[in-house]
Amino acid sequence: YSNVEKSTNSAFSTTAETLLTELKGKVTSAKDATPVVGASVFLKENPRIGTSTDVDGNFKLNVPENLEKGKLTLVISTVGFEKQEIALSSGQTQVDVTLKESLQVLSEVVVTALGVKRDKKALAYSVTEISGGEFTQARETNLANSLSGKIAGVNATSLATGAGGSSRVVIRGNGSLSGDNQPLYVINGMPIDNSTPGGSPTTGGGGQNVDRGDGIGGINPDDIESISVLKGGTAAALYGSRAANGVILITTKKGAVKKGIGIEYNSTATIDQVVDYTNWQYQYGQGDGGVKPTSQAQAISWGRRSWGAKMDGQPYISFDGLQHPYSPQKNNISNFYNTGTTFSNTVAFSGGNETTSFRASLADIDNKSILPNSTFNRKVANLSLSSKIGQRITIDALAQYNLEKAHNRPSAGDAPGNPNWSNYMIANTVDVRSLSPGYDANGREIQWNETPYASNSYFVVNRYTNDDTKNRFIGQFGIRYDILQNLFIKGNVSRDFSNYNYVGIIPTGTVYTTNAAGEYQGIKSAVSETNSLLTLNYNTKLRSLQVNAMFGGNQRNFTREEIYTNGTQYIIPFFYSFTNLATATTRPATQRLATNSLFGSLDLDYKGILFLNASARQDWFSTLGIKNNTILYPALGSSFILSQAVELPSVINYAKLRASWAQVGGGVPDPYTLNQTYSMVTSSGQPLQQITTTNGEYLLNNPNLKPFTSTTYEAGLDAKLFNNKLGVDLTYYLRRTTDDIVKTAISGTSGYQYSYVNVGQVDNQGIELLLTGSLLKTKNFSWDASYNFAYNQNKVVKLADGVNTIQLATSVGSWAYVNTDIGQPYGIIKGYTMVKDAKGNIVYDTSTGYPMKSGLTQIGQGVAPYTMGLSNKFNYKNFSLDILLDGKFGNEVFSVMNVYATRFGLQQSTLAGRETGLALSGVTASGDSYSNNIPVANLRLYYDNLKNYSNLFIYDGSFIKLRQIIFSYRIPSNFLKFAKIQSASISFVARNLFTLYKKTENFDPESSYTNSNAQGFEAFGLPRTRSFGLNLSVKF
Amino acid sequence: CDSGFEELNVNPDTSPIIVPSYMFTKAQYDALNNSCASTYEFACGGSVQHFATYKDVPGIGDKYFFSQGTYPYDFFTNAYPLSVNEISTVIRTVKTDAGQSNLYAIARIWKAYTFHRITDLYGDIPYSQAGEGYASSNFTPKYDTQQSIYLDLLNELDQAASSLDASKTSYASADLVYGGDVNKWKKFAYSLMFRLSMRITKVDPSTAKTWAQKAIAGGIILNDADLAKVAFVAGGQDINKNPVSLALRSNNYAVANGNDNTEGGKFASTFISYLKTNNDPRLSSLAVVWVNKVQDTTSTIQKGMQNGLLQKPSDFGTYSEPNINTVLKLDAPMIILSNAEMNLLMAEAIIRGWASGDASAFFNNGITASMKSMALYGDASAINSAKINGYLSKHAFTTGFDAQLEQIHTQMWVSLFPDEVEAYSNWRRTGYPKLTPVNITGNLTNGTIPRRLLYPLAEENLNGPNFKAAVARQGANTLTTRIWWDKQ
Repeated sequence: YSNVEKSTNSAFSTTAETLLTELKGKVTSAKDATPVVGASVFLKENPRIGTSTDVDGNFKLNVPENLEKGKLTLVISTVGFEKQEIALSSGQTQVDVTLKESLQVLSEVVVTALGVKRDKKALAYSVTEISGGEFTQARETNLANSLSGKIAGVNATSLATGAGGSSRVVIRGNGSLSGDNQPLYVINGMPIDNSTPGGSPTTGGGGQNVDRGDGIGGINPDDIESISVLKGGTAAALYGSRAANGVILITTKKGAVKKGIGIEYNSTATIDQVVDYTNWQYQYGQGDGGVKPTSQAQAISWGRRSWGAKMDGQPYISFDGLQHPYSPQKNNISNFYNTGTTFSNTVAFSGGNETTSFRASLADIDNKSILPNSTFNRKVANLSLSSKIGQRITIDALAQYNLEKAHNRPSAGDAPGNPNWSNYMIANTVDVRSLSPGYDANGREIQWNETPYASNSYFVVNRYTNDDTKNRFIGQFGIRYDILQNLFIKGNVSRDFSNYNYVGIIPTGTVYTTNAAGEYQGIKSAVSETNSLLTLNYNTKLRSLQVNAMFGGNQRNFTREEIYTNGTQYIIPFFYSFTNLATATTRPATQRLATNSLFGSLDLDYKGILFLNASARQDWFSTLGIKNNTILYPALGSSFILSQAVELPSVINYAKLRASWAQVGGGVPDPYTLNQTYSMVTSSGQPLQQITTTNGEYLLNNPNLKPFTSTTYEAGLDAKLFNNKLGVDLTYYLRRTTDDIVKTAISGTSGYQYSYVNVGQVDNQGIELLLTGSLLKTKNFSWDASYNFAYNQNKVVKLADGVNTIQLATSVGSWAYVNTDIGQPYGIIKGYTMVKDAKGNIVYDTSTGYPMKSGLTQIGQGVAPYTMGLSNKFNYKNFSLDILLDGKFGNEVFSVMNVYATRFGLQQSTLAGRETGLALSGVTASGDSYSNNIPVANLRLYYDNLKNYSNLFIYDGSFIKLRQIIFSYRIPSNFLKFAKIQSASISFVARNLFTLYKKTENFDPESSYTNSNAQGFEAFGLPRTRSFGLNLSVKF
Repeated sequence: CDSGFEELNVNPDTSPIIVPSYMFTKAQYDALNNSCASTYEFACGGSVQHFATYKDVPGIGDKYFFSQGTYPYDFFTNAYPLSVNEISTVIRTVKTDAGQSNLYAIARIWKAYTFHRITDLYGDIPYSQAGEGYASSNFTPKYDTQQSIYLDLLNELDQAASSLDASKTSYASADLVYGGDVNKWKKFAYSLMFRLSMRITKVDPSTAKTWAQKAIAGGIILNDADLAKVAFVAGGQDINKNPVSLALRSNNYAVANGNDNTEGGKFASTFISYLKTNNDPRLSSLAVVWVNKVQDTTSTIQKGMQNGLLQKPSDFGTYSEPNINTVLKLDAPMIILSNAEMNLLMAEAIIRGWASGDASAFFNNGITASMKSMALYGDASAINSAKINGYLSKHAFTTGFDAQLEQIHTQMWVSLFPDEVEAYSNWRRTGYPKLTPVNITGNLTNGTIPRRLLYPLAEENLNGPNFKAAVARQGANTLTTRIWWDKQ
């Protein structure tokens, strides 16, 4: 891929010379004598004189006479064959050439650590690169969600928190027991911040429990040239500790040397439709004990009880005091939510000359949520500049400014302030719209059920507000100085700075707040991630050995300065200011940390057959004690091009073996976790001092923490078979994390609720397979398919002394936990079951008449071990169709919603016993037979009690989804000439169209409401949506 | 390569220096400010039938339900990271400093106060190894038997009381109870010793007697001047407000119209009927009915709501609830150990033959002290001597041990209000007043009043072996399991 080749590929005609001799020839494949089509043929002495072969492999070239014959050399090259040079003899007019197939077919250049471009075959680890174009047609508002199903071993989970919400991406399983387990995001070689302001939503938070979005969400797909995913430790060793969970490298688009200004415009409009997964019972309506409400007060008390009489369509009194038919209301979900819309527009300008090139883009994405009155807007301006100053200096700069505004992000988790809660749980004969507008003449929330904590959803969407604005600037500046031809020094600085401002108003009239007088929360947050990197690079050739050496240092500084302002009870009703609160507190939270690093790497390339890579890095962490704050970790990898070294059967066009071993070390993610400190509590009386809490948590500090290490062993095979029509990429890995620094919940009786400890060992073993096939190719039609599959087996081998279990999360009501126990995979779900005797009879507690409850036991696994994706691309003339399926298998979900649905009589399973009562039989604790009849009047309490047996609400979380469809039409260029349009295409795009396979009842298997480690719970997230629309892409 | 890292890793908003008196104040607040709605009103207040609610979720004491939430273990969950850890940290800081021996002794007394309330609600609890997470990296404290805890608490009080020395420095204004008055703390220590010794009369009368006599000999709180209380402020930060007032208002009574009580709470009919039947002047100090959004204290219109209701009664607005201008004032003082209680316990000690004196006089003094303490809630609730004497004349101390005990502890049941945690413990020990449980379908106790609260479910997950050992020893983690001193 020299410059010469590139220029010849585009330069056909020769300049007019006075005398020309015609040189003819045919180019054929050495292997099977078939013609080689499209090979470039040019003169080495003057590459501008060249042509390419036609469909029969023939070429004609006019060779100027004034270039002396006999000294001319003809060069023939094309992708997939070895370049050949032929000396022309004087007067020669015919030359036939046979080309040997080469490995160049696989010579893919990919971006690796620190932004270094390398030939893929030289890599000792698995890297997957995806072009930016994959993300610009069928879009997700959060870029990371688009990774779902595209890469083996990458588990992207989109959350049920709406357009401005965050993402969760886990590569090769959860290696850390409590770290966030998400990869490091890197743009052009420099890390960015991916934190969520104010933290992730929790399982039980109140009305301010919203997902405030993450850092990767702010990257505009149109600005992306490519995304490389570095999965293994070797790949990541050069980024240090934060790369232990893998690295996602984003390379942004740059300007190009060209005449005039290039303009690209990309526009997408999609609509989001609510998908209603509920399938409640519609035989028995609102009520209790088999009777319907007879008064308004009773209808309110029974607002979420569907334990009434058989539906008869007759009028009955509802909670609003009006008569409504006692009939099923099956469309509450679709009646409450709107159709969402998303408009995304990007215009980009690019240009450049020999010394300087630029690209500038402006993007606007505007989302109206399915949730009424909830909107999200993001504007991104991106400017990229490259300049060559003189012979030796190259400068690159990137500036990106984001302005993100969200209005009324939905609250997740348990009931208070969750706008989804009542839509799901309202009694099945009540039209949810009768709750509208949700407040009375005095602005007070209208209660539709007995508890004030189950908010009126219309009140929430009409009266609650939360607004946030994020101003974000990403600046990067790099300078390279070529000291010698093969020695250069490169310096980069980057800063990702964001300023975030959130105000959440739980309004006057909210019945669950004190005196119905409302609450206030404000967050002001300034976060900056700054990295300075200096590298010295040297390459040389020692006989057959190509040597690349690099040495460098990095300084990382991270600061987060936050002010939380909280208060309750607006003194003057409806005046929502921090100055108008009966009680108010202000809390500063500061985090500052730094990591300094030195690193080096050495790459050896022996004749393009054997590659060896060695690297080492030493980190110093400010978050660890001065005695334990440094760690050195090495990595070693090799790849061997088998097909180059030995003769293989002819079906194998290419085969590469690779193996690597790498360590990555890391410190505590958060500062100030070493020594116990004390802090003052705002007091209106005596001074008060407390043991310092961290974000309101009683966190036990540990001065003895030491760095953890994560060691990855990886081996793999790349092969191309059947004339390169089938590609195989197979990887096995073992990732072993030792002395992991874990934040674990501990018994509060220790005086603390959480602690950081160095803990044991976790093993992740897995297989990743990528198959690519060019299944059909004719003149007008082609079919390409790609299938990826990954299996990850996670096992906790050892925990710290004195730690029995790592508790990652608890559900509302402590009905279930997400835990990590020895010998089990990461993130098992634990809960309770009915006690059964050896014969499987349920054992009853005779005093309560209910089944006995077991001790805490494992009831599921929260993380899917199997993931897969299948992509098919069809091209017919100007049409193309791209279909992506993906799936996950082998995990379970604990459904908090179905617990409630059972308690409230919505679940189909609660139909048993409605007419004549429920006959129970089993045994007593002493083994005698036991029977009990639950009369209809008491059915509700019987079913309510089932919440104690959490295994009843565990569902297989496996699914296969039709994730994406893109149907495009490329407008023929001759139609476009008049408008100076180079190319244009219009596409129908769709995402999340259908679920082809699932086992969950009433909810989507992908209903997680947090990007934290609490995976395996579902709790009234925003309904899932199906999106489709149109995309227009034009280049001028 | 790590220069400046140590300085960088210092949180600018925290200090490495502990000021024991500042943390002691916090420990005092936190021991009192613990789940004052869920534990005081819903669990204990419902169980002793001071309070009632028509709702399910807060119906732990009202109808022996636990349908949802964390109410039965809030007290346990909150106690350890706050009051226990704070008072333990104060003790560790001042323990070895001879100059701060009073700070050490008072902190030990406060620790005993803190712990007896936890063990009284739950039985066996982490005690000897609790709050040692930072000091000795113990993340899984064992559960001590209640018997061993009680004996240790009594010993601690004894040692602390005898080590107090009026000539040495004390907490001064950092002590919210007595302003650092060492002599009063001595009385408090012996009074608490007396409370604890009487608590174990059912299970171990001889030990109870020994310690009761020791306490009486040491000097207990018998006069108004020594009553232990904490003052609060009405405005400003929540932590400086009366936590019971704040919690009961927030969870029920803040709406101030008698109809929209958040958790469906009202005074229970058992409580109001008793006060009304006996023409108790405390009725109009404590109870009101909202009439046209105005609190009305007229005795004749007061009525309590039935325990065990499953839906809102149509006349909900006409039931009595606590007066938000007296006992539920945000700056109402909180009585933590009163001369009323001590006088009544003295009457019991005398009829048991463990002390000498006129039981009838102590009984009358107890009632008088309780009625006079109503003045602490403001002039509106003060009860004059004429009313007190009128009441005493109609409620003379009776004869016969059981009848006397019933009389004493029925008075205790009234006078301890709103310290529902102590009222619940005293009722479980004595069985007085005789309460009629409700028996609502789906209740968890087979229609009996709960005998304890529940350990947090998280303990089974996080402190499994110790939790299981405690459950194996004490009985299932249910509301009906009896704790050590609550011998049947």
